[in-house]
Amino acid sequence: MNKAEARVQTIVLVEDEPAMMDEIKGELESKGYLVRPASIAQAADAARVGDAAMMIMDRIVFGEDSIVTLEALRKEGVKVPVLVISALSSVDEKVKGLKAGGDDYLTKPFAMVELSARVEAMLRRLDDVRTTKLRVGDLEMDLIEKTVHRASNRIELLPREFRLLEYFLRHPGRVITRAMLLQEVWQYHFSLETNVVDVHISNLRKKIDTKGTPSLIVNIRGAGFMLNANP
Amino acid sequence: MRILEFFGSSAVRVALAFVLVTTVATTAVFGLVYLRIGEANEARNRVILETEAAKSVDRSVEELKGAFEVRLTNDLRRIDYAALFDSNRKVMFGNIDALPPIPVDGKAHYVATMHVPGSDNRIEPVIFVARQRPDGNIMVLGRSLLETLAFRRTVQSALLAGLAPMLLLALAIGAYFARRSSRRLTAIHDTIARIMKGDTDLRLPVGARHDPIAQISRDVNLMLDEIGRLLVQLKGVGDNIAHDLRSPLAVVHAQLERGLESSSDEQLRTVARQALAHIDKAMLTVAALLRLADVEYSPTSRNFQSIDLSAICADLFEFYEPLAESKSIKMTLETKSPVQIQGDGDLMREAVSNLIGNAIKFTPENGSVSIAVFRENGLPVVRVRDSGIGVEPAERDKIFQRFYRTSSGHRVPGSGLGLSITAAIANLHELDLRFNDNNPGAVFEMVGRRR
Repeated sequence: MNKAEARVQTIVLVEDEPAMMDEIKGELESKGYLVRPASIAQAADAARVGDAAMMIMDRIVFGEDSIVTLEALRKEGVKVPVLVISALSSVDEKVKGLKAGGDDYLTKPFAMVELSARVEAMLRRLDDVRTTKLRVGDLEMDLIEKTVHRASNRIELLPREFRLLEYFLRHPGRVITRAMLLQEVWQYHFSLETNVVDVHISNLRKKIDTKGTPSLIVNIRGAGFMLNANP
Repeated sequence: MRILEFFGSSAVRVALAFVLVTTVATTAVFGLVYLRIGEANEARNRVILETEAAKSVDRSVEELKGAFEVRLTNDLRRIDYAALFDSNRKVMFGNIDALPPIPVDGKAHYVATMHVPGSDNRIEPVIFVARQRPDGNIMVLGRSLLETLAFRRTVQSALLAGLAPMLLLALAIGAYFARRSSRRLTAIHDTIARIMKGDTDLRLPVGARHDPIAQISRDVNLMLDEIGRLLVQLKGVGDNIAHDLRSPLAVVHAQLERGLESSSDEQLRTVARQALAHIDKAMLTVAALLRLADVEYSPTSRNFQSIDLSAICADLFEFYEPLAESKSIKMTLETKSPVQIQGDGDLMREAVSNLIGNAIKFTPENGSVSIAVFRENGLPVVRVRDSGIGVEPAERDKIFQRFYRTSSGHRVPGSGLGLSITAAIANLHELDLRFNDNNPGAVFEMVGRRR
């Protein structure tokens, strides 16, 4: 447990559907977060005084579009990370949600593991510092030299493999879904019916893993993958 | 209610307006005739009388008397008046008892109520001229306007007699048309009511005529045909959705039941995991359906930009290459120069991704997949060719239908919506998605539509 996790983080949740509210609350509380349900106005207040580590906002809450408030908050300079969830699935709506200041956008229906993975990634993003080197165990990535070493052995990676590994190294010990990888590494905003991502991961594993030791990247059943933070 | 409705209908209103206009026009014509007849007759009589009176001034009393007698004897119609009064205004001879109440100025004057001589109380309008003679006597000539009056009366009664049946006729014609059109409208109304109640195979009566109602009915029928076609399609889609969701749900149901009956936690956990996988599959289908609806009903030209099909294909080629390699499929890319079109990059990537994904999915190990991007006759083409299982001739029409999976493709996982989404995206970009045989294998290509 590092310091960031020792402190209980409050997530403000704006959602008018009781069942969805319960599910999200249950999922995130099981991950150790404090979830505070709120109206749009309450959420805005919490964001202004810095009471929220992040916010999850449903697009349409009791007939009101929450991104209007989000836009206003961003204009005021409020920087709290916001995950927008919505049944409005069109690409245009997604763009609208992100333009208004949302940091990520999830379309209903989604799996809870997808939600919590994204929440963790977003909270993690805050801790990002301008590092030039990323390290997990004896695996080290130099962001300036664009090189990767495992126990002083140089590993040659294709550009795309490099970015894939970089994403894992930036989120060690976190569940990362296939959709997140598609979106963040390849910038593909659609779902796939093939297991291409798994093939990419398995190719990456072949290059970075050492024989006889468990893989650095583990499969999380029904969710995605995770980089073992303490190998 | 029925009557109110009848008079409220526009056809009846038109009929009534028709009656009104006819009445006014006819009355105006008759009125003009009526007035003109009187005026012309009167004016002529005035001139004649004034001239005669002027000419008679020079005649002697005897001559005058003889002339009057001849005149009055010949006047079989009893329309002439002639008399001579002395300077004391006493009648000397002629058929007028007393001097009419007019100025003695040789000009014609109208006397509305002249007592007819030799009758008890008959009265008629007369035009008189009274003229002073050099000997002091006053000569009076007159002409009855009774004939004119009678003629006017005839015209008047003719108008009345003619107008009444004409009004009735116009009303009858109006009512006939109103009834006819209202009967047609009622028929249309009733048909629509029945269609709304679910009798969707019914069509509006059109009839043999080519009038606006028939035209609109024909248009509505065409629309109903189209809606009917969509309904059938929708029903098919609904059935497919139900089927595609029911299978995983049934499995989940059975698994959970089995899990609950199991004794060990570990077994329950395994079952729950399997159930989750099936629910994920159902959610994938739902998400794909939403996606399809989203693409199909989005307004065109959204936020279109200039995009390069070659770059998109090169990017996806790199993305899919490891998957092809893992199946020992030889994948090649053929792009020479940028192929720019106006479009949405995200959507186009999704469409091409579906085609490449399908090609790899349906191509067995050691096969080949080739991607080519080029312009042909100025039109952009993206072609994905594979050496896979291809599509049976009998199934070629169906592969673009929603949820359709080839009999051989049934064992391959997927929502069955990929090609539908691709076709919808292609359509949004004014491209046609086409299928060709590759002997063996399939060729899918998106080709620019010629305008």
